[in-house]
Amino acid sequence: MRLFGTMGAEASFREEDFFGREEELSSLSRAAVEGARGIGSSFMIYGPPNVGKTSLLLKLAHDLRSSGGGGGLPRPFPFYFSFSQILSHPLALSQHFLQEFLWQLLRFLGDSQPAAFDPEGMCDRLAGYGFTGCREILAAHGKYTASGDGLSALVNALSFPFASEGDLVYPVFLFDDFQYTGKLQGVADGAMLSILRPYIKSGHYPMVLSGSSPGRVTAALKREGLFGTFQMLELVGLAPEASLRLWGYLCDRRRVRIPESLLPGASERLGRIPVYQRMLVEEIFFRNVEVADAVSLENLYALSVTEGKLNRYWREFFENTFPERQQRGRAIRFLKRVLCDRFPLDTVEGALSLLGTSPEEGEAILSALEFKGLMKADLEQLAFIGDPVLGDFLYWAFERGVLGKGASQVAASIVQTRLSRAAVEQGPGGDHPRRVAVVKELMRKWDLREVPLLLLDFGKFREKFGGKGLLEVVIGMEREMIRVRLPKISSVSTGYRAHRGGPRFDFDLVAYGFLEEEFSEENLVVWAVDVVPERNLAAHGVEHFENRCRLLALEKGLPADRLRKWMLLHETADPAAVDLASQYGIHLSHPTQLRLFLNLYGLEELEREPEAQRTGGGAPPRGEKPLEYELVLPMKADSEVVAARVAEEVAAFASVDSDTVDRIKMAIIEACINAFEHSASESGKVRLRYLLSPEKIELFVQDDGRGFHAGKTPEESKRNRGWGLKLIRELVDDVEIVTGQEGTVVRMVKFLESGPGGPAPGQGNGAEPAAPGEGE
Amino acid sequence: MTGNLTIRTREEGETLVVYVAGYLNSLLGEEVEKVVREQFDAGGRRVLLHFGDTRLVNSIGISFIIGVVEKVMEREGRMAFCEVSRINRDLFQVTGLSKYVRSFDREKEALEYLAGGL
Repeated sequence: MRLFGTMGAEASFREEDFFGREEELSSLSRAAVEGARGIGSSFMIYGPPNVGKTSLLLKLAHDLRSSGGGGGLPRPFPFYFSFSQILSHPLALSQHFLQEFLWQLLRFLGDSQPAAFDPEGMCDRLAGYGFTGCREILAAHGKYTASGDGLSALVNALSFPFASEGDLVYPVFLFDDFQYTGKLQGVADGAMLSILRPYIKSGHYPMVLSGSSPGRVTAALKREGLFGTFQMLELVGLAPEASLRLWGYLCDRRRVRIPESLLPGASERLGRIPVYQRMLVEEIFFRNVEVADAVSLENLYALSVTEGKLNRYWREFFENTFPERQQRGRAIRFLKRVLCDRFPLDTVEGALSLLGTSPEEGEAILSALEFKGLMKADLEQLAFIGDPVLGDFLYWAFERGVLGKGASQVAASIVQTRLSRAAVEQGPGGDHPRRVAVVKELMRKWDLREVPLLLLDFGKFREKFGGKGLLEVVIGMEREMIRVRLPKISSVSTGYRAHRGGPRFDFDLVAYGFLEEEFSEENLVVWAVDVVPERNLAAHGVEHFENRCRLLALEKGLPADRLRKWMLLHETADPAAVDLASQYGIHLSHPTQLRLFLNLYGLEELEREPEAQRTGGGAPPRGEKPLEYELVLPMKADSEVVAARVAEEVAAFASVDSDTVDRIKMAIIEACINAFEHSASESGKVRLRYLLSPEKIELFVQDDGRGFHAGKTPEESKRNRGWGLKLIRELVDDVEIVTGQEGTVVRMVKFLESGPGGPAPGQGNGAEPAAPGEGE
Repeated sequence: MTGNLTIRTREEGETLVVYVAGYLNSLLGEEVEKVVREQFDAGGRRVLLHFGDTRLVNSIGISFIIGVVEKVMEREGRMAFCEVSRINRDLFQVTGLSKYVRSFDREKEALEYLAGGL
């Protein structure tokens, strides 16, 4: 049994750390005070984890506690209760709830802190303050507990605050992490609200619910007819001015100095989320470093996100959840094995044997971990991907493969994050994206094992062939000595510059490969590639690139010879820059070299539009397979957005115009929604394939449901619904639907450039014709 | 993607400007419907839907907008759209919405139109 569990959160809250949110606090306080007149509103606060929802609730509790009564009206008693650490059995929850309520109420009334938990004793003390009837309710609770009737015990506990009400105070409920109430065993989702409904409706008991995944809670609110009663309050980062005040306070406290000019940028970088600001200042303090400029701040940020801070998050989580050291050790080891070794965790017994504990202790550990959502295979926790720091964490985790399960969802989430931030941070202007696309395409086509070093090294190239004319060069055939085995690309990450922002991750491309066939850690090689945007590369540009490479090597723990550094020049380079690059072992290449290379290898040159595209026509050019991506999505509200984001990323490879991208995204959204709504699939999953070839993008949306009938149902017509298929036909050039008892596949084709454009009518192959009734 | 419920409104003269930001799906559609209904219940008759920050739209979201337009017509109100992206304009065209509601490039023009200036 856990006593006074929510004390952890309360104890860790420090009022002096709280900045901003004046507007929110004022609305919430007003609503709480208005409860005395029966006109108090209830609120649902939502926002990404760590944004400060708990702090806001605790600050509100603090303010209400110290506000005192007025005008002879009863005082609001703020009762803070977090559901994040509840035990999943309703009996345990009801007991915990009662304990907390009694204890917090006594404290509020000025009673000394009880030395040991004694419900009857606390009831007697409350009676001294005019609260009657507590013991009777407690007795009833005892009866339900003894008979194991969890639901009745829960109803009893939740009604306690109302039944035992005195004339002096009335409760204001501050329910944190409310989404976890959906986890209660044997209690229907929304039952909690159902129990509390009459009190909420009365207006006498204002309630503030808070949670990071409001979807479930709002659905329950709607079911209970309470949605209109609650005001929705989305919590985002602090206001810019409050964020700056917070920097001032944090830096003063730790005697850390950050140049003032950097502070607004740093605020934006961290989404103006207070806890991240605190973490970064702690990181600077911990490392005792000088923050001289934006580059060093970015580096510190990156380090704190990837290594230091991440560990700190885990540490804090474990320390709070498992105060007992031995148990904590077991939980950490267990989690590491599950996450890092991708240990298949099929049964609770399997998990217990891994923990090496008694079943009781093991189950406590498991349930605590489960509550944090750490072991969820479907990674529901990724819903809050808008959080910038979490996005970086996911990137980090994905890179290292620690989120092995559900990797496709992680990938999609990362794509989503990057894209959502790209909207704010436009990449550098000019033709930079075009050049990046060229490099991407090159990397895709090249088998780097066969690339001669000489080709890639501008310095050596010039030294050997300067003034001799390019056509004299016989690349890679002159001496076998200069042929090197370069890594085969195993994965490529691109778009760092445009999407991650800031110089820290300022590479146009990072590629991973292996020296030999064996894909082992010892053989890992990383390529960092940059396209130089300046017309003339100067020495400081090389220096800057080298610094970033060093940081990358440091971060990845790579020996110096395993990080390949490559700069692609567009125009010219200073002699000093070439020398410096040579000194640092940076390969410098020029587009002329690349063109030469392309000719030699019989590849198309990308700056010119390839013949095949102009002539149009069906199949991709021979010898080149289309790029193919697959994604499996759960049929959940809004997961179609992930499909759209991935489509956007795929379309970016083909450098298609934004209107086409929009059409592809919309089409795939509609096809997904169709599958979600009409397939009645038992697996609850939809499989997506994206095929990218030079002339077209093909999208497949497949479900394993019971088939699909085109056309509007009467019900759909009544609700103005049933537009999906018609929209899809408008958005793409060709649509085919193959449907049957085994499920449905929707194939959509969008031709690129001057491909066959309009829809191809009458394509057989089992395609379902458009229903006659479908239309305006 | 559950944080899309971002309806912001403001009143400009007698017109309620509704900023439809984010992903126009059923949740957001429902919110739009709600604020417009409230405007009419309170006696207002002019509504401008501002789509400048609408990043994605789906057919369910559109069905709500159709519902809103029907309601406005039923109650003899005036309505306009502004800052509709190219793709969304196409979708409104396909669903017939553009036959009933005028779209303007700029909010100012739309407000003038609703105020009877155009």
